[in-house]
Formats: sequence, C-alpha cells, structure tokens
Amino acid sequence: MATPTPELVVRPLSGESLPAILAASTAVQAGFPSPAQDYFDGRVDLNTHLIKDVNSTFIVRVAGDSMKNAGISDGDEVIVDRALTPRDGDVVVAVLDGELTLKRLYIRSERVLLKAENPRFPDIAVDTLSELTIWGVVTRCLHHV
Amino acid sequence: MFDSASLPESQRRIALVDVNSFFASCERVFDPSLEGKPVVVLSNNDGCVVALSKEAKALGVKMGIPWFKISAWAPSVGLVAKSSNYELYGDLSSRVMSILHEFSAHVEVYSVDEAFLEVKGTPEELVALGYEIKAAIQNKLGLPVCVGIGRSKTQAKLANSGAKKSAGLNGVCNLDTFSPEHIDRIMEALPVDNIWGIARRLSKRLNSMGIHTIKDLRDADPVRIKKKFGVVVQRSLYELRGIDCIKLEGERLVKNQVMYSRSFATPVTTRKQMEEVLAVYAQRVSKRLRKQGSVAGALTCFAGTSRFANEPFHSPYRNAVFSVPTNDPVEILKAASSVLLECVEDGRKYVRAGIMLHDVSPKTSHQYLDLFTPVHESRQLGEVLDTVMEKHGAFSIGLGAAGFKSPRHWEMKREMLSLRATTRWDELATVHAR
Repeated sequence: MATPTPELVVRPLSGESLPAILAASTAVQAGFPSPAQDYFDGRVDLNTHLIKDVNSTFIVRVAGDSMKNAGISDGDEVIVDRALTPRDGDVVVAVLDGELTLKRLYIRSERVLLKAENPRFPDIAVDTLSELTIWGVVTRCLHHV
Repeated sequence: MFDSASLPESQRRIALVDVNSFFASCERVFDPSLEGKPVVVLSNNDGCVVALSKEAKALGVKMGIPWFKISAWAPSVGLVAKSSNYELYGDLSSRVMSILHEFSAHVEVYSVDEAFLEVKGTPEELVALGYEIKAAIQNKLGLPVCVGIGRSKTQAKLANSGAKKSAGLNGVCNLDTFSPEHIDRIMEALPVDNIWGIARRLSKRLNSMGIHTIKDLRDADPVRIKKKFGVVVQRSLYELRGIDCIKLEGERLVKNQVMYSRSFATPVTTRKQMEEVLAVYAQRVSKRLRKQGSVAGALTCFAGTSRFANEPFHSPYRNAVFSVPTNDPVEILKAASSVLLECVEDGRKYVRAGIMLHDVSPKTSHQYLDLFTPVHESRQLGEVLDTVMEKHGAFSIGLGAAGFKSPRHWEMKREMLSLRATTRWDELATVHAR
C-alpha cells in the first residue's frame, strides 16, 4: 500500500497552550483506520506559531484608527516583541508623551519618520533613531473581522 | 548562551542579579509616563509604602510609612502611588528568571526580584557577561537590573550593592577586577550590618568587640567569631574572604507550606462575617494547592485584632489535621470554620485572618482507596470552581457564604491598581493609534 509518509514534527509540550484548531498532517480516509493516524501532531498551538520569544512578547490593545490603512483597527489586539531591533518599514510601538503609540517607522538617511497609516494624522520627524523610545516591534495584528 | 563547562573550576563565580526598585519598575513597563517620576507602591489594602523608586527615595519617603501620612503632600511633589499589582509583578518576575536561565545552568531564585547564578570565566569575561544580562533584561522587558559578581554569595551581594551605588560602574560590578587594596578601602568604608545576613541587632554586639566595618569582620579570628556568634557569622567571615560556604540551592519542587492571609479593608466584627471570610480564603488557598498539584495534611487557621487599637489584642490560632490529605475547598473550609469560629468573639474588631496549610506533598504520592475519599472530592468540586471563576470572574461562584455576588466590604482596598496587563485578557494595556 502506497501511503505517503507525512513529515514527523516534534513539538515541545506546553503547559499553557491555547488550544485552537484540530489538525492532522494527512487527509483522513473513511472506511479503515489509516496508518497515518500514528502521526497525528496534536492541536495547532497559536502560542508556538504567533510568539517567537515568550519572554519578550506582550499583547496590547489598540485604541484609535490612525493605523486603519495598515489593517489595524480600533479594538484590535497586536502582538509586540520588545527584543526585535526596529527596522525601516516596521509597525512599532513608540513612546510619545509618556504613552504607548502605534506608528509605521521609516528610517531614511537624513531623518527618521513615524507615520500614521491614515492621512488625517500628521507625521513625526526626528533626526536620528536614538531620539525616539521604541517600546517594541509589532509582529502580528489580531484583527476583529 | 555562555559556555562555562569548558572553563576550570577555579574561575567559578557567583553572580547576583536583581531588578532595581522592582515593583516601581514593573509599574513603568506599561506606563512610560512614570519614567523619571517618584513612584511608590503600597501594601495590600493601600496601607503602607512597600516599594519606592529612586526618585521617591530622593524625596525622603521612607519604606513602611503609612500612605495616609503622605497622601496629602504627594501631589505637590509629583509623587505617584500605585496599589500593589502582584499579578503583574509575578509575571514579570517569572520572565526575568526565565531569561536568566539562558545565561547559566544553575540559577537560584532568591526572591521575586533577585537570583544567584553560577558563572565561570576570567574577570573581564564576567564583566562582559554582566552587561549582556543587563542588556537582555532591558531589551526584552524594559526592566533595569544590577549585577554583582564575587567568589561567594556574600561577595556577590556586596558587589551588587556597589553596582547600585557607584554610577561609574553602569550597573555591573565584579569584585575580582579591583585590586586587594581597593577592596580593603571599600570594606573599610562599609558598616558591618551592610553584610548579607548580619542583622542590626547582631551588629551592635559585633561593635562591642571592636568589629565595626566589613573589613574588621573579614580580618577577625574565625575561631573567636564562631565561639561568640556561632557558625552563621563565621560563615559570613569566610565568605567575605572569598571562600564559598553558602551553596546555591536548587528550586524546591513542592513547597511544604501554602498560606493565604490578608488584612481587611474594614474590620470583621461577627462570627457570621468571619465564616464568610473563611469560605473565600478556603477557596483561594485550595486553588493555590491545586495549581501546584499538591494536597495538604494539616491546617492552621488564625484571626487577629489590631495590635495598635485601644482594645485588648485578641488573636485566636487553631490547628486541624485531615484524616486524608486533601486539596478540596469544602474539606478545608469545614476544618477551618470548625476550629476557628468557636474562638471568634462577636463584637471584637478583627483586622486580619488567614489559612495556612501544612504537610504539603504532591498529590500523586497519595493513593487511597476510593472508600475514604469524600464524595465531593471525587467529583472534583475544586477544579470546577476554578474553571468557573477563570471564565466568569472571582465573584461568580463561591462556597456557602462566599457565593454572594457583591464585593464584600472586608475585601482589600486597591484604589490605585494598575492593569494586570500580562495576565488578564480584559486588562491588556492600551496602545494609542492617533
């Protein structure tokens, strides 16, 4: 019988995983037990897929619609990794006037810009990145559809 | 990760890492507006100052001062007070410890904000490692730490306080990088009660023997010290000389005591109310027990009136033993109320109560015949309560008197509580998009 051997994935057991969706690595055939069932991987764990470093990752909730055109709406949750180095084009959490603020970061040779993704909001420009406090880099948006 | 396995044993050192003004620093993580401002954190019930930022210390605020004494003055100097947010501090603490495990295979978590690490390397390598640890915790969590490195825990503690006090060290101090003459000067300048484990009371007796500074103790005769003060002080003496006597402890698997005890916002004055208190506490203490997968064999239950009131101090204290070790809230409540309530007197003003569980052991080490298991325990009532409370909030369900929905008047006052931003989905911090 030519059953394709699925790739065996070894995952660490996590005590506080987010159970989400049942997944098997091969399609299940009706009628007789598939030998592939031995390779059932367990549930997809959103923690392992959405969070690279559990120690440096935080989830915060968005208030306001200045990032609407980046697909981030009022009330969405975003996943922020504080350990990542901010790069040109990243959506970042910056500290502005003592508040955590969401902006798109542009690093140009002559200046650094924090831009909203909504034309109603003005840009913030500084000479160098060191003048800004970047709290963390957004890696995911949990958008409410 | 720092590879210490290949280095010789003679380069083994102890590093003490601790977070500067831990509680206040935690409050700043999600509220950057507190950066640079004087911040104090208050005890349960918003009673006293239990933690201060360095700016608050500079204003002369003292640890332990009752909040009501300074609350009127606070706004005039920009002093901000926060209720203690133990969920936030606990989560950030466990992140700190988890990051520290990336730097050493042997970490002893010493308290919520400090840990001893076994490290190996040349003095310069260890200084570099110290800065690496400091940068990692700053980058990943936004928390400032200091690192002290020495040949013993006592030396590491000393180095750590040096790292805190001397701005020039930038938060990392390795005693090995100082000349012996320089170390002498440091130890000469510090009173003997600055040593880890030497209490002020003890330092008075040391003073009477002519031992005033840390250097005096280090250079004293160990035999004479042992005779006069016992082995503990002798050990400190050896540790100051760089002989490592207090070993790093591994993490204990199961704590053999679990306690839940709180002060009330307003005094509890009747047995009926006290029963209500015990019902809530039994639930909470049993939840802690289940969380660590343990059962308890015995319990101590206590209540107390204020020591500072004009009325006579009354503090009933009773023990009970379970026939079968348990983590069932019904059993714990039955035992606690049957022993304590008979000593509680109507009309007295109780300000605190608590339940302490002893003889705690892993649940799996007990295999009993079903016959002896109480009926409700076999139905896993405790787990059901935990699940309902997690889903619907702490006041959604309760045992007997604890089942009332409205918050009870004796529950803690925490009016300046920040968000439990890392442990509660409905309290996530806000990031502004404007």
